[in-house]
Amino acid sequence: MKRFGARVAHAGFVLWAVATLTFLLFRLMPGDPTLNFLSDSFSEEMRADLLQSFGLDKPLPEQYLIYLGSLLRGDLGVSFLQKRPVLDILLAALPNTAALTVTALVIAYAFGIVAGAFLAFARGTVTEGIAIPAALITRAAPEFWLGMLLLSWLSFAWGIFPSGGANVAGSEFTSEWARLTSVDFLWHLVLPALTLALYLQGLPLLLMRATMLEVLNDEFIVMARMKGLSRWAIVMRHAARNALLPVATAFALGLGSSFGGNVVIETVFSWPGLGRVLVSAVQGADYPLAQGAFIMIAAVLVLMNMVADLLYAWLDPRVSVGARR
Amino acid sequence: MNRRSILLAASALAGFKGLAPAPSQAQGAAGDPIRPLVLITRPQAAAPAAYQAAELIAQEWRKLGLQVELRPLPNQQMSQVVWYDRQRWDFTMWQMVGRPERGDPDEMVYNLLHSANIATGYNFVGYNNPAYDRLAEAQRSELDQARRQQIVRQVQEVVNQDQPYAFLVHPVNLHAFNKQVFVEASAVKQAGLGIRNFWNWISLTPAGAQRDIIVNSTEPVKATNPFYVSGAPDSWVTDLIWDRLMRVGPDGLPQPWAAERVVQPDATTIDCVLRDGMAFHNGDPVTPEDVVFSFEAPGVGNESPMYRPFVQNIASVTATDAKTVRFKLKRPDAAFRIAVLAKLNIVQKKIWAPVLAEYQGRPENLESYVEARPIGSGPYRFVRSRVNEEVVLEANPNHWAKPKADRWIMRIMTNTEATLGAFRRGEINVLADYFGDPDLVKEMAAQNPRLIAVREEVDIGFQFVGMNLRRAPFSDAAFRRALSAAVNREMMAGAAWNGQAVPANSMVSPALKAWHDAGIVGRVPGGNLDGAKRLLQEAGYRVVGGRLHYPAGVRETTTPFQ
Repeated sequence: MKRFGARVAHAGFVLWAVATLTFLLFRLMPGDPTLNFLSDSFSEEMRADLLQSFGLDKPLPEQYLIYLGSLLRGDLGVSFLQKRPVLDILLAALPNTAALTVTALVIAYAFGIVAGAFLAFARGTVTEGIAIPAALITRAAPEFWLGMLLLSWLSFAWGIFPSGGANVAGSEFTSEWARLTSVDFLWHLVLPALTLALYLQGLPLLLMRATMLEVLNDEFIVMARMKGLSRWAIVMRHAARNALLPVATAFALGLGSSFGGNVVIETVFSWPGLGRVLVSAVQGADYPLAQGAFIMIAAVLVLMNMVADLLYAWLDPRVSVGARR
Repeated sequence: MNRRSILLAASALAGFKGLAPAPSQAQGAAGDPIRPLVLITRPQAAAPAAYQAAELIAQEWRKLGLQVELRPLPNQQMSQVVWYDRQRWDFTMWQMVGRPERGDPDEMVYNLLHSANIATGYNFVGYNNPAYDRLAEAQRSELDQARRQQIVRQVQEVVNQDQPYAFLVHPVNLHAFNKQVFVEASAVKQAGLGIRNFWNWISLTPAGAQRDIIVNSTEPVKATNPFYVSGAPDSWVTDLIWDRLMRVGPDGLPQPWAAERVVQPDATTIDCVLRDGMAFHNGDPVTPEDVVFSFEAPGVGNESPMYRPFVQNIASVTATDAKTVRFKLKRPDAAFRIAVLAKLNIVQKKIWAPVLAEYQGRPENLESYVEARPIGSGPYRFVRSRVNEEVVLEANPNHWAKPKADRWIMRIMTNTEATLGAFRRGEINVLADYFGDPDLVKEMAAQNPRLIAVREEVDIGFQFVGMNLRRAPFSDAAFRRALSAAVNREMMAGAAWNGQAVPANSMVSPALKAWHDAGIVGRVPGGNLDGAKRLLQEAGYRVVGGRLHYPAGVRETTTPFQ
């Protein structure tokens, strides 16, 4: 419990640091949000009005205190450009990002774990000679390139999947849940999720393989062989279980980092997620929205970090014992 | 090597001999060498055509003996420097985009270059010519169309002689639609805008079972609010949901809309007679009181910073009977119909008056009010908006100009190639916001002649180089004329804009036939690079050691842009 409390305090400190840095970052950048409104009828009076309405006419320390106070109340403010509460905008984009990220990670890790385990067992074979470079290539290939390739083949050329978006134009749904679970949504999800999964699979595959290679040299594996167990049983029931620990940690961390890291894929597939909200907010110097998006992404990352930490301790009691000592 | 690279190389070779000073140029005393000049531009990734144009321009100007450095700056940073550090920069790439209300030349003529806007307004180049100011004011108050046209042409000639901007091109908009989905003849082009216009959205007639207009946008809709527009896509939506007293017609001129008649008894009085039977989307009738409120609300306090400038010339607006609204102006305004009556949205007083009262006591203003389901009286009704995904409107069956399509759907698509793919596959059926290679669309149309119709239209807007007239040598009109003469606009339109542009030498686009001076593009003083060298020579500038110097006795005292 004490360890849990320490982790929560640590996470709180990290979030405060992120919030402060984000606040300063945008205000130190050249340009201000009034530049979005430049037009031939724009005047100094209009600028002053806009700065006042954005609360940017106040001294920086006062702005910071208001900002922190609002954050503590769970109020992320109102978007300068969209004029809507930031939380509403982020929560509207969150389900799309969550669906994309979780689907891609599950596919990537399921594939990576099985393939990694298999390749560890197939060490030195032709299969390994082909599969490892292939995994490295997909890991190293730019996401937009992978995405455009899949779009070219599976959408433009063969017409199997749609070109972008999360639903067919004008689709009607009775609720958000109905939309997220509709065949239409899932059909639109395939290409972006597949692209992200292709990009992500390299890490679990290589991690699983490396850990498996270590585990396969352990004495309990020799014992299993001596017992006459099948290859499959040795790999999946004994070795893989023990090799899964670092992969589980990587999954939790990957979940956190992918939430904010899908900007490229969201752009290629016109996917209406958090990444695009963040990009348009930064481009438009929409401070509250950009800050809110950064903080939400950081919160997910910190939370997943904490989960990974606790999960590891739960999966491997030696970590907890070590902590108590 | 692509066409742009070939043209760049050809241009470099053609101008090579220009690097060496002509014997006559070296003669005579010279002032200080002109400092290295910095041309600000947006980065290549953000604005490839403008960046390419800047490269071509710098190349030509180097042939005059100038040292020109390109300085790409992100959009925000560029605006910050140009707008708020007006003494600091030399020259900058800039653009004016086409909008329906710019169908009247007043916005471009008065706001861009009148000296009243030098300190903080759009006259960021610092152009100050009393003769120009008088003409700009005169066109504003001249109500006789023929006389006003004459003044606007005079304005263009003054600008031609002074060259405060080096105008580059008017882009040509390229749009396309699926003619298996829509009757081809039903598409309506608007002068300076192409088929991405209000009239097209109510006129496009479905040819078969697909009855939705599905149009792409590269940017999301940020707000759907009659008192606030945050970007072009916002205005496409508000155009359709809210009616206005007048609309800018397909010919670019204002025409009655919610007002069936607009009469002007004298220079400062305008009467608008409303149509019978108009109703808001909630079924309530549109009354003269609603119209009066719509024009009064933007002027209340700081409730609508965006629309307040447009009502500042209104002395009073009153309902004179059950159908008529009278505007009394503080001073005559020839552009009032297009810039005000065709711009401000008619809102329902019942909805907005309590909101206005509430917001007057709050730090936020009317722009922050979000209607769960916006209510207007326009030809389309709001259905829903999902940020970064789509906006859905449905036809208003009770409107007197009921759209032919059932729904108008704007899809936000951020990937240009995917947008083309979606268009070919029918996921969108009107390509209305396209900045990719125009040849791709034309090839697609050529390969699918029964499927795709392409429409092109010269834009109201223009691309230009703004020169900072506060700083030498740009303060010298002769120097500016020479720089402008050295710009090869034909090559620029072909190379930088891939042929999707026409040469420009005026702030009034050729799309606005009533106002444009048709011969102006051929009257750039000097005319070409050789002419530019001659102009500089005549003005006393000399090339010494390959570098252009000020006329004799002129010292370089201006701090270089860092």
